[in-house]
Amino acid sequence: MILKNFQAHGPSPAQADRRALRQLPSASTSYQTTTQLHHRIYSLVHPIYTHQTAEVLLGITGKDFTIIAASKAAMRGATILKATDDKTRELNQHNLMAFSGEAGDTSISQNTSKPTSASTQCATRPPSPAAVSSFVRSELSRALRSRRPYTVNLLLGGYDTITDTPALYWIDYLAALAKVPYAAHGYAQYYCLSILDKHHHPDIGFERGMELLRMCTDELKRRLPVDFKGVTVKVVTKEGIREVEYVDDKPVKSA
Amino acid sequence: MSSPFSINGGACVAMTGKDCVAIACDLRLGLQALTISNNFPKIFSYSPSVYLGLTGLATDVSTVADLFRYKVNMYRLREERQIAPRTFANLVSSSLYERRFGPYFVSPVVAGIDDGGKPFICGFDSIGCIDFAKDFIVSGTASDQLLGLGPEDLFETISQALLNAVDRDALSGWGAHVYIIEKDKVTKRLLKGRQD
Amino acid sequence: MSRRYDSRTTIFSPEGRLYQVEYALEAISHAGTALGILAQDGIVLAAERKVTSKLLEQDTSAEKLYILNDNMICAVAGMTADANILINYARQAAQRYLITYNEDIPCEQLVRRLCDLKQGYTQHGGLRPFGVSFIYAGYDPQRQFQLYQSNPSGNYGGWKATSVGANNASAQSLLKQDYKEECDLKEACGLAVKVLSKTMDSTKLSSEKIEFATVGRTETGKVYHHLWGADEIDALLREHGLAKAQDAEETTESAMGNAGYAENRTET
Repeated sequence: MILKNFQAHGPSPAQADRRALRQLPSASTSYQTTTQLHHRIYSLVHPIYTHQTAEVLLGITGKDFTIIAASKAAMRGATILKATDDKTRELNQHNLMAFSGEAGDTSISQNTSKPTSASTQCATRPPSPAAVSSFVRSELSRALRSRRPYTVNLLLGGYDTITDTPALYWIDYLAALAKVPYAAHGYAQYYCLSILDKHHHPDIGFERGMELLRMCTDELKRRLPVDFKGVTVKVVTKEGIREVEYVDDKPVKSA
Repeated sequence: MSSPFSINGGACVAMTGKDCVAIACDLRLGLQALTISNNFPKIFSYSPSVYLGLTGLATDVSTVADLFRYKVNMYRLREERQIAPRTFANLVSSSLYERRFGPYFVSPVVAGIDDGGKPFICGFDSIGCIDFAKDFIVSGTASDQLLGLGPEDLFETISQALLNAVDRDALSGWGAHVYIIEKDKVTKRLLKGRQD
Repeated sequence: MSRRYDSRTTIFSPEGRLYQVEYALEAISHAGTALGILAQDGIVLAAERKVTSKLLEQDTSAEKLYILNDNMICAVAGMTADANILINYARQAAQRYLITYNEDIPCEQLVRRLCDLKQGYTQHGGLRPFGVSFIYAGYDPQRQFQLYQSNPSGNYGGWKATSVGANNASAQSLLKQDYKEECDLKEACGLAVKVLSKTMDSTKLSSEKIEFATVGRTETGKVYHHLWGADEIDALLREHGLAKAQDAEETTESAMGNAGYAENRTET
């Protein structure tokens, strides 16, 4: 049996079922038809997998910092409900979470901020960005196969005080986790990742990081069909998390 | 394109040689046509001579890899010995079949050397049906391209097989990891590959 | 008088004691001695194995020393059957932590997990407490090498050198006398066999009667734990002149073997 056939038509249940049935004392009649199986398999991913929003999340790391930027517009469908929304949350002193997605589901930030704070860890130091990202991923992946999964995309910006390195993690609503030097979520991915591919370098200083961010937000203003009301910008360094003044009322000439 | 197996992309191949096996994977993590990361390895080690390659939905690649780390660590502590490739293959099979009606969307590949020094490779579908093979196993979105390339000089073959396959597939690529596993030596190589 | 209070774990006696817990502690004080010594560059655990019969199959695996996790081992004194339950619980707790955080569980957190379970059996109805004391040796990046001890009541504490089981009072006072804060792992191993030789019934030790394990770091900073083999233990005993008398030809240098110290270990 050549394996590729399984992938071409989705997993073929028959062979594995036959194997399992052989091991049962009597043949079971409770297994489902292929159509029912496919329905269950694809319903997990299919209805929402193209889910992309005009909400902007951006993350850029450099030599000794991680910049996180999130759009200020709270959107519901085509309507903007609020123009001063903060889509970030400080999980602990050196870990910042940015989230976009279904309004209620952004409670992931509350549900994960308590377990990742220092006090519940019986430790002198809050958990590292790597530990925080793994924890958030495990929460999200557990929820994925529960009755009500979260539909939020996340960026985790952090600074590891033990190894003295900045960290940025990209997590999508399916709980896929990747450690990356720069990242984006939503439609912003299509515009910003190519800019960052070209200009980003792991050793850049903070000033250069902000320049790259400016290039990204300018491009977004030029290309995105909706007004995302500018971005809140926060930066994580050895000293902790601080908000950065970010003036973006200057109009950008469209292409 | 709506299949969860092809959202994130990826490729994995395992081959046997004389007293050795090789397993290789690409490094791409994507969202359909968009590449998110070019450093997302899909091969995991569970003993000095047992390796597992996982392609499919990235979240399940991580979940399944972590799950087997849990199970194999418990096995090693309980049994006070390393797990054998054939035992591990059966663990993979039964663990995946446990989720028969809500499967993990992964296509695993196991490669290893057993106690007698004999090469062992096999593949699975997402619900744990084992596909034992003497020569080679492929999985992932580039599996169509990987098929039909014969095994000769193992490293060269597996590298060329994988690189040529991923170059022809839009959803895999961006570098590769190749492991050559011999009885008491494992060589890991990073292939840079095309970065465009 | 005590009859009214000692059949249940959950009831204090008028003097404010929990008899079942005290009986458990009493049971442990008859078990083989186990001790742990914290050094600058590692920790040593040593335990006395009670050989009850010549006919008993000499198990190849350790009876009193167990691996809990990649960063932690423990020594057991008391009922082995009870210990197995707790050790399995600890291993699972450690692996669960690894799966959620992708890093090893901090030592104290694992000790506390185990002690919370033990404590439950001193409070909730009708169950016997676990008849085991543990000595834990571990490493984590935050607090480096750590040595803990716990008992059936669910109490635990961090130590520099400690012992449990038979003769633990005399072992403890020997440790107090001879422990040096800035000792290295090699010196700690020497102290461990010296204390064991004085607290054990037999004057001459052998690898059949003791178990030995060390936690340390390799040159690259990787944490390792190592349960010593019989030849490594015998080499250590010979080094300190505590081994049983050997045949003359066997004690030549070449047949000595190496004690399982850190510097004799190959990088893995």
